[in-house]
Amino acid sequence: MIEIRIHGRGGQGGVTLAKLIATSRFLQGLSVQAFGLYAAERSGAPIQAFCRYSSETITNRNLIYEPDHVIVLDPTLVGPDIAAGLKGGGWILINSPKSPDEFAAQFPRYRVATVDATSIARDNKLGTRSVPIVNTALAGAVGKMLDIPLDEIEAALEHLGFVGGNLAAAGRAYADVQLLGTPSDLTPVEALAATPSASRGHSILDRAGASPPLVKTGQWATEQPHRQQFIPPCNHICPAGNNVQGFLTALAREQTDEALEILLRTTPFPSICGRACPAPCMEACNRIELDGAVNVREMERYAGDHGQVTLEPLAERSERVAIVGSGPAGLTAAYHLARLGYRVSVYESGGEIGGLLRTGIPEFRLPEDIVDKEIDRILALGVNVVTNHRIDRQALFNLARDYDGVLVATGLQEQVGLRLGLDGTAAVVQGIEFLDHVYRDEVRVDGEDVIVIGGGNTAMDAARSALRLGAASVRVVYRRTRDEMPAISEEIDEALEEGVDIEFLTQPIALQDEPSDGIRRHYRLRCVRMELGEPDESGRRSPVEIKDSEFELDCHRVVLALGQSPDISVFPEGTEVREGTQLLGLLEKPVFAIGDLATNEGTVAAAIGSGRRCAVHIHNVLSGEQLNITEHADALRDVDEWRDEVIRADSMKLHLFERQQGARSESLDPSERRSTFDEVHLGLEDASEATRCLSCGVCNECDLCCTYCPEGVLKRVGHRLEFDYSYCKGCGLCVAECPRNVIFMSHL
Amino acid sequence: MVATAQEVQSLDTCLLRPGNTNCGGCGMSTGLTMLGRALDAAGDTCTLVIPACCGIITAGRFPTTSYGVPTIATTFASAAAVASGVASIRDLNGEPGQVICWAGDGGTYDIGFATVSAAAERNENIIYICYDNEIYGNTGGQRSSATPAGARTATTPFGKSEGKKDIMSIMTAHRIPYAATLSIAHPEDFAQKISTALSIEGMRFLLMHSPCPTGWKSEPEESVELVRVATASGLFPVYEVFDGATYRINVRPDGTDPAPYFEKQRRFRDDEIDLDATREASTPSSRLSRTRTLISALFPSCGRHDPQQLP
Amino acid sequence: MSVEVITGNHAAGYALSAAGEANRTARGVACGIYPITPQTEIVEYVAKFPFSKGRVVPVESEHSAMAVSMGASISGARAFTASSANGLAYMAENVMVAGYYRLPIVMVAVNRTLGPPWNIWADQGDTLALRDFAWLQFYCETNQEVVDTTLLAFRLAEDRRILLPVMLCMDAFIVSHTQSETALPEQADVDRFLPDLDLPHRVRYDEARTLGSLAWPDEGLASRLEIDEAMKRVPAVYNECQSIFKETFGRDPGAAVQTYATEDAEAILVASGTMATTTREVVKKRRAAGEKIGFVKLKMYRPFPADELREACRTASRVAVLDRNYAAGAGGIFWQDTCVAFQGRRDDLVIQNYLTGLCGNDVTPALIDEIITDLGSRSSAGEPVWIGIDTGKEA
Repeated sequence: MIEIRIHGRGGQGGVTLAKLIATSRFLQGLSVQAFGLYAAERSGAPIQAFCRYSSETITNRNLIYEPDHVIVLDPTLVGPDIAAGLKGGGWILINSPKSPDEFAAQFPRYRVATVDATSIARDNKLGTRSVPIVNTALAGAVGKMLDIPLDEIEAALEHLGFVGGNLAAAGRAYADVQLLGTPSDLTPVEALAATPSASRGHSILDRAGASPPLVKTGQWATEQPHRQQFIPPCNHICPAGNNVQGFLTALAREQTDEALEILLRTTPFPSICGRACPAPCMEACNRIELDGAVNVREMERYAGDHGQVTLEPLAERSERVAIVGSGPAGLTAAYHLARLGYRVSVYESGGEIGGLLRTGIPEFRLPEDIVDKEIDRILALGVNVVTNHRIDRQALFNLARDYDGVLVATGLQEQVGLRLGLDGTAAVVQGIEFLDHVYRDEVRVDGEDVIVIGGGNTAMDAARSALRLGAASVRVVYRRTRDEMPAISEEIDEALEEGVDIEFLTQPIALQDEPSDGIRRHYRLRCVRMELGEPDESGRRSPVEIKDSEFELDCHRVVLALGQSPDISVFPEGTEVREGTQLLGLLEKPVFAIGDLATNEGTVAAAIGSGRRCAVHIHNVLSGEQLNITEHADALRDVDEWRDEVIRADSMKLHLFERQQGARSESLDPSERRSTFDEVHLGLEDASEATRCLSCGVCNECDLCCTYCPEGVLKRVGHRLEFDYSYCKGCGLCVAECPRNVIFMSHL
Repeated sequence: MVATAQEVQSLDTCLLRPGNTNCGGCGMSTGLTMLGRALDAAGDTCTLVIPACCGIITAGRFPTTSYGVPTIATTFASAAAVASGVASIRDLNGEPGQVICWAGDGGTYDIGFATVSAAAERNENIIYICYDNEIYGNTGGQRSSATPAGARTATTPFGKSEGKKDIMSIMTAHRIPYAATLSIAHPEDFAQKISTALSIEGMRFLLMHSPCPTGWKSEPEESVELVRVATASGLFPVYEVFDGATYRINVRPDGTDPAPYFEKQRRFRDDEIDLDATREASTPSSRLSRTRTLISALFPSCGRHDPQQLP
Repeated sequence: MSVEVITGNHAAGYALSAAGEANRTARGVACGIYPITPQTEIVEYVAKFPFSKGRVVPVESEHSAMAVSMGASISGARAFTASSANGLAYMAENVMVAGYYRLPIVMVAVNRTLGPPWNIWADQGDTLALRDFAWLQFYCETNQEVVDTTLLAFRLAEDRRILLPVMLCMDAFIVSHTQSETALPEQADVDRFLPDLDLPHRVRYDEARTLGSLAWPDEGLASRLEIDEAMKRVPAVYNECQSIFKETFGRDPGAAVQTYATEDAEAILVASGTMATTTREVVKKRRAAGEKIGFVKLKMYRPFPADELREACRTASRVAVLDRNYAAGAGGIFWQDTCVAFQGRRDDLVIQNYLTGLCGNDVTPALIDEIITDLGSRSSAGEPVWIGIDTGKEA
């Protein structure tokens, strides 16, 4: 008689395997038995099954204590127990992709066979993803191992109705099974002692029976959960490198100061960006797929306006860094270098600190006291700013010689012109210049008809400023459609509400003098209608003239807001001016260009990002450290897998979030606002909008995973998620219920 | 084979201890864990009274136990009666703690039906929680009167022809102080209902929809989502009834299609499910109108017993 | 103590209530009750009793009656109930659980014929059908014995050396509904006789222990042995309780095995319940007429008092075992236990079974005479003899 013991897990088909082996022998005329050992085990728990076959009628009704062979259905069950009572020289067949040699040391007295039944089962689509049914494959392997012809195994399979993939699996396992037929240790195995009598056990009267269970159910798991983290799209796209998810999460917890502190790790201008940033984060926000983007801009404003943080430099260093230009890039670089402990001096050619922050964005969008407040925060770190101090090429060399590092942040000094005729006259003014004059209260446009050419924020700002200053009419002329206008969409809406007209698909061709009416100069702008054609190098569809569609517009003034370009004359001829490129290389000191000068991205946020990157780079050069540029921006938590990819809406479980309409800030009434430079947006009263942040791909400690873990083996301790792997059964509920994809299962 | 004092770990204080032998993803496990947390939050304790069902197998092998609270195993039909005895002695001795029956649908809808009805009629001071996995799970998945129509079980291999017994209507007809349904997909509502139950004296009956991946042939990780779809579509209404007279709907179905609920469980065959009839029969209004009808029929002269909806 | 003319049911109700009341200084008493003829008056009595610390729960079935009593007992209170016939059968599952949980519950069982056919009169088959469930069993012949043995049962059951439930059996109508003078003890004496119950394995509200989880074969085997060991201690503890009862109440509740004129008897009759009374009277007359005949009353049936029975029958050459019960396909149950007791020790002894008074048939002295005559004519034991019916065919 041959006796075989099978070790498996509930659901893997161990008892059926016993029956398959028995059936194959039965069909050859032998007497057989097949049975399982039944107790209280459930799916996944270790079980045993048994099989006997003999040429004589089997009369043994006991369990099998000394099997001839052992089969292990699940590699995680392999341990010394599986060989208990196994007769010396017997076979141990293990479902494993490893070769038998790798088990020989553990089982020196036995013959070992291995086959990757799990892969074979999966390939033949037997069972489910988490519990493949490996028994039919193993039946094939058993056949080869015990010199049973494959057709006898197949006959058994067919007899029990296992066809198709099952037959294929058996055949493949029969071929693939690896046999190590020689035990290395041939000393005989002692027979088992006679069954010991049961010990006296525990009395029902005994109050000691309160001990926790001993079963380590973690051994059941074929997969284990771990924490992962993705890059949220807002963080990814923020030009300043802000930790958007991080500050929103803090606001959601009503930790305004902490929110501000998180922002201040990357940007010194939250209140400014909270008013003026085009907010690409909002366009990338995954919540758009649910019920609308989170109003990140208003939240940044809220944190900036309401948070209280005291900043201290991290260290005191002796190195000195010079920065040319006190615009957003220069000031950001100064801010970060000062926080790192460097002694920073900023040289500003103009009379005020801040550059375009102060003069390029009108008060009704960015009040000056906000600018002052944020600049003061930087100055309080000990940054020294010298105004009315222009740096020319020679001065730049001197700086590079006298300082340990120099950053040039002079921005875009050149304005893009348009050959309309009358260029350089009083008829035409550049947008940035116009806004500067507005800032200084030097503009009079009462009763004028003003035309603004351009579609960006400067154009909108100029148009709306003109209106407030009493222009009789303001007309914006733009050669493409609204969809292509680079200005912030809300600004366009507000401009229209205030009474600005926009002529879309209109290209100005020429500006002509008209006879004066005695009060003021008077011009005529000839325009032509356009339609959209093929995309140009910026990706936007190119406007194409419509024949014979010229027309004329009367005006008293034209403002050109077509963009700017850098003035690189401060550098030696032929210098390549790009972010990250060492300038003045001969001096062997770090000298870089930052901000619009280097990248021409045109936004405060981009300037901040550029300033910060280069400040960190200079620090790395000067200190020898390798400060990670993303270290401040990323919410590094205790994760097992850091995914260097952006998580999109389709990887989120949006249906687990309740719909909630996004908040918009109140604004001044349009009729009211066209006559005042008071701030148009009143801001949100509280930060409840931040609770709409989905925290995509980043754990925000919502604890839903802990709530839904059926075993309670998942706990959050501070910021750490603790999985008790000795008990986790790998059910996967934590993964399924995490709305933001922060947990994943890994195969064991 | 026998646990000695040296082998045991330090005692855990949670209601359901890890190391239990429940299937991974068991709805009952989730329910026990949520119950334990709710009791903890309320600073209350309990003695569990568990009849023959998966719940007592959870306890594991004598002398260890997966329950971190005093637990008494009873015969299949007797949970509510044994609990009545235990609660009586607790009350006679002024001892704290709840007596909570934790029983499957077999022990509640079928073999234990008379017992639970009698305990309700006597208004025993116990909490009776039925974790309804719609089969006799412990014996391998045979039908119970809680099995829904169309479900294939070990004793209804071609799909059960009878519908699911409306145990909530029956229990609310006893006019017990509190009867409610529990959803593991709504943990806050779950906790709130336990809290409410703890604040009320007398018979409290709670019915929990309990996914059984093994019996329903569903993926363990989808257990909570199944309840979510069931509650959002109205298949399993989430509501509470006070004294059989006033009720509150806690989760308003939002028109979610119930089809995925059936698709994710291989115990159902799509072509045997009448989705339209299911949608119709499963809305809270139809379920509650049945409750209303039942109660009204019992008290024809008492207009007061027409159930009033609470905000 | 007062002496009153009351029924056996009243006596049982009195004793159960007094015992329950005695635990008012500990965790109190509770029970589940359900009526069935002919025990209904017992549960009605306890339902009316004004327990200082107790609760009587009228439930919806006997199965639940035992369940409620178990819940109370598991919680450390004194618990009891009463039933009969088919009610006992319905209760059976929980009767078994009480035994294997070692709960010291006392149940008064009025022995009534198990139906069908439906029959309300005396037959011991109902309690004997539960004989394997680890309960002690006592069969009483008088109302007084019911009072005394019921009280004694609590003390015996709750003794730490025993901790097994006790079934108190009395014949339907002949005891349960027959009024006769009965001494009823004072509550104060009962208080003295029954100490506060302190159940060692009660489930405490502040202790995480599970009672009744799955036990592997080895644990199961050990638990059965544990019960056997407790059963073996019963005779000695019974004797102790009997002495203390005498001291407390000034009355002998009766030994577990009571003999009459067995010291030199040649023929011995063995009986229990009310037919013991009748049998004893007939034996007395015969003895007075010079026959060497004796009588053994088996008061205690579980554990089966084999030693005492063997001792009592030491001189006898033939024994008649009267069974007011019948196990289909086997014969009288007391007879079967008796045969086992003598197996291999007294192969010379003729042990003959007489199925007497089944289904409530009256057991008269004339029938006893018949039995004695038949016994005397035998040189060897034969098939069980059916008394009171013509079996018709050849034997």
